[in-house]
This record gives sequence, C-alpha cells and structure tokens, in this order.
Amino acid sequence: MTVLAHDWYRGGIPANVVLGRDVYVDTAYSFAPFFSEEEQALVMGEASGAYDRTAFVVGARGRVTVGAYTVLNATTLVCNDRISIGAHCLLAWGSVVTDTWPDAGASPEARRRALAAAAADPHRRLPPVSPPRPVTLEDNVWIGFDAVILPGVTIGRGAVIGCKTIVRENVPPYAVVAGDPARILRTLDPDDTEEARLRALRDHGHDHAR
Amino acid sequence: MFHPLIPGAALPDDWFAGTIPRNIIAGENSVIDSSFCFKHYYAQGAVGLRVGRNVTIWRASLAADEGALIEIGDDTYVANASLVCTERISIGARVMIAGGVTIADSDFHPIAPAARLADTVALSPVGDRKRRPPVEARPVVIEDDVWIGFNATILKGVRIGAGAVIAPGALVLRDVAAGTEVAGNPAQPIRGGAA
Repeated sequence: MTVLAHDWYRGGIPANVVLGRDVYVDTAYSFAPFFSEEEQALVMGEASGAYDRTAFVVGARGRVTVGAYTVLNATTLVCNDRISIGAHCLLAWGSVVTDTWPDAGASPEARRRALAAAAADPHRRLPPVSPPRPVTLEDNVWIGFDAVILPGVTIGRGAVIGCKTIVRENVPPYAVVAGDPARILRTLDPDDTEEARLRALRDHGHDHAR
Repeated sequence: MFHPLIPGAALPDDWFAGTIPRNIIAGENSVIDSSFCFKHYYAQGAVGLRVGRNVTIWRASLAADEGALIEIGDDTYVANASLVCTERISIGARVMIAGGVTIADSDFHPIAPAARLADTVALSPVGDRKRRPPVEARPVVIEDDVWIGFNATILKGVRIGAGAVIAPGALVLRDVAAGTEVAGNPAQPIRGGAA
C-alpha cells in the first residue's frame, strides 16, 4: 500500500494498483471502495490523473485500465469485470462509467439478495444484481459532466458525450452524442492523427512514445 | 455565516485559506459565505466580478478565466451553483439560482479531436496549463427575474429572457423567450410563450 504525502485521507493506494510515470492521484480516498483481488487490478498510464472525488468502486474480479494522459475529474468507475479507458480521454465531474447495473429483467428478489449480501458484509459491498458487461472507451473520448455510461457499451475513438447524457448503446468513433434520450448530433473530422499526438507531446516537452 | 464582499478581504473564521479577490466590485449588503467560492477565480482584468446590491452567494464556485467578467444584478441569490466563465456571464436582478446549477460560457475543452487531445496533454501532471489550446466562448445572458431550478445547466451563448423559469435538471442550449418555462435535455418550452 502506498500512502500519498499530500493526502488528507488515512488510507493508501492498494498494492495491485499500477501507476505509470508521472501519474497524479489527489487522494487515496478514491480507493476506499476498491476491493479487487486481481493482479494489476488498476493500471493507470503515464501522466494520467485521478482528481478530486474520483472513486474506483471495484469488486473482487474487477480490472480497470486507464490510458496515458487521461483525466478522471471527480468520476466514478464501477467495475466488477472490465473497464478499459483509452489514452487522452477526458471524464468530467459527476460522470459514471459502470459495467454493472441491474438488467431490465432483474427481479426484485435478485435485488433483495444483493442487498442482504451487502448487509452481511463488513465492507458493505453490493454484489452485481445482473452479470457485469465490460465497457470500453477508446482513445480521446470526452465524457461530459454528469453523463452515465452503462454496461456493455463501447465508445469509439474521439467521440464526445454531452453533459448529463445517459449512454446505453455503442457510440461510433468521432460521434457527438447528447440529449435524453441520447442521439448522435454530428460526426467530427478525425484529425487526431499520430502526428498530431506526437506534436502535442513535443509541445509540452514529452517526445517519448506512450 | 455571511460576510460582506469586500475586495481583497480575508474573511473572519473562514475555513478556506483564501481571500476575496481585489478586482471585484460589490454593492451594499452583498454577502458571501467563504473565499472557497473563489478557488477557481483567475480573472486578471480591472474587474472580474461585478455584483449589485443585496446579493447572496453561498457555497458557489465563481470560476473565472483570466479574461473573464461575471456580472450579478441586485437582489440575486446564488446557492451552491457553479459559474464557469471564460469571457462573460451576465446575470440580471432578482434571479434565483438553485443548488447544483452550472452556467458556463464555454464547453471547457475544444471539440475538435486533435485540439482536445492536445488539451489532455496540457492538463496532465507534466503539461503546461498556460498553453492549453483555445476554447470557443460565447457569453451567457440571464435577464431579470429568472428562476433556475436545481441541477439545471445553462450552456454557452444562451440568453434567457426576463421572468423565464428553467425547470430542475433542464439542459439549456438555446435561447429561452421571456416569460416561458423550459424543461428537459435538451430543454423545450413547457409553458408560456408562442410554443
């Protein structure tokens, strides 16, 4: 367990969390709900960051990867299987990415069983009511504030999810999605080439590859 | 506990170790609860915040970029809301702004994928925030006697006409006519006006 020098929270970062070079974590409070028993249960790429009240709500079998330069700004990740977030993603405050949520067909009995299991657990972990379904955010995805990404969804490279949007279905690359219900407003010009990425890194004095 | 908005002042018993910025103008009997409201205030102009008389601000975030100007009219009440200003946010008199409201005159990041990618590098622990790519800002104007409900969001370029009501949770992308009520995401008129 690693304790952060600047932290107000008394806990630390679990040993199965792998932080790349120049990663910033505001507080180990982000890991208070982190219970993964997997090896390399959370891998954060170079110069990524978990800011403010970001929460890693990760169950025993959960595995999360966060790509280089990705910003988790007061974001909640709920993972009982797999959440994969690419490089250069922006996840704004209040946004939620979850691979676990009761299916439409989940019975009240199943929810009661989950609640009973939580009540019997000193850590009050809530087991999945429905089987988790992995979520993938490809590179350079932007999730607006208070948006929610539900289980099984893949969001394509460069896509933008507007604030307060609930995403239940896959989003194609470079789509701009907003509204309730969510719909595609337009498609962006895919100008985020490898050359553009290297230029941005060079511009900030980091010309090594990811 | 409220304190008068006095430019440059340190508030007595403030739990946050900040001060009221010097480049503000505030009218008589306008108050704030903590300098924490200015945690993200970086306005550098001669005036970055102009507040009328009898204004109440508590647990709010007055986030202002270097060139920003936030204007708040007389008797307006701002509770637990975020004003995120790159250029200009003008709020009229007797406006009620409820908790969880966000008013922003930009989208915070560029929308074009390459510029957005560059922004992630600039914002990263190894980047230089002073060299972020530019974001488009369009001023927000909220006229007199508007009521903005809990968790509503007002986005860039929007003008809200006098006396309009923004329902809780609404996401407002387009102008709202005076005297109408709008709700939903995106917000649509539900009462009053021509619609």
